[in-house]
Amino acid sequence: MPDKEIDRALKLVANLAIDKASQVLSKMVKAGARIDVENVALVDITEATEKIMRTEEGEVVGAFVDLIGDMPFKFLFYVDAQDSLTLTDLILRRELGTSKKFDLYVTSSVQELGNILASAVTNVFATDFQIKMRPSPPRVVHDYTSTVFGEYIMEAAADQNEILMIESQFKVVRMNIKCRMFLLPQGDAQKELSTLLGKV
Amino acid sequence: MAVEVSVGMADFKIGKDGDVLSTVLGSCIGLCLFSARHKAGGLLHIMMPAAGEAATRPDCKKAKYADTGVPEMIRAMKVAYGVQPQDLIAKMFGGAKVLKEVERNIGQENAVAIQAMLREYGIPIKAHKYGGERGYRIKAVTDTARVQCQVFGNPPEEF
Repeated sequence: MPDKEIDRALKLVANLAIDKASQVLSKMVKAGARIDVENVALVDITEATEKIMRTEEGEVVGAFVDLIGDMPFKFLFYVDAQDSLTLTDLILRRELGTSKKFDLYVTSSVQELGNILASAVTNVFATDFQIKMRPSPPRVVHDYTSTVFGEYIMEAAADQNEILMIESQFKVVRMNIKCRMFLLPQGDAQKELSTLLGKV
Repeated sequence: MAVEVSVGMADFKIGKDGDVLSTVLGSCIGLCLFSARHKAGGLLHIMMPAAGEAATRPDCKKAKYADTGVPEMIRAMKVAYGVQPQDLIAKMFGGAKVLKEVERNIGQENAVAIQAMLREYGIPIKAHKYGGERGYRIKAVTDTARVQCQVFGNPPEEF
């Protein structure tokens, strides 16, 4: 299967997974979510991290999830630290503005979101492609954007200079909250997925 | 005119006459080398302690590893500014264990590997701050050899 077709097929899978995840998020926070950017690309680790350092200087709250099974992936969901407070209030059905600082409620809410979004992604893989996967318990980190992103790609980048990054940005429209999700194939997952998609 | 340059993972940048080199770190280590005589400096963003077999591959990113990245940045400073190892001092930052659940302490391994390389070249470490569980943002000013280091959630410190 030529590279361009693999990219297209991967983008299709990513779209399905991310679309499912954003639907789940919409229901959870009772607000519409719109996908803004989807990108499937082989990215150089230096360029990708340098770009984030230049363009996203702030702090985020992120949930790291390992998708374990037939085709291992790493999943990352993150949201601006300030917006994580609003998301927490929406999830806990509290009056907006109740959450004022990064505390146990915010950690639990982002953890729950990470879990639900990662589960939505694994469901698409399982239902549409019969690939068995299960999410690990999410690990929540509140830190600089570049630190969170760097730790996310660390394992894959240890062996490779370029990594296949499936990226999506979606917005909780009513609150103007931007969330970002990433999927990163681990080990032979990229090759196996390409083989599988070649048969579809 | 002095410029500010970001340094991504597995990369290094060098500069002089007030250029500012900045990066953000987690378990990686940011190694700053300065030559007061040349008013020059470099910042290396190291991910792993040793290149191993990767060092023999043509596409090896030498800056990714302590054992190949340190000589590479020293060489670049020599070529660009005529800096010799004996002109240099080092300052190093980062090496946090951001994901507490991960067993391997790569930050600690990186720090040990860099210290060994600096010993080989006889470069003294004049300042350092590493470890902890939070990210680091550093800005190195090439002509003054000053480094501003801010651990996430804390005020910036000068080294």
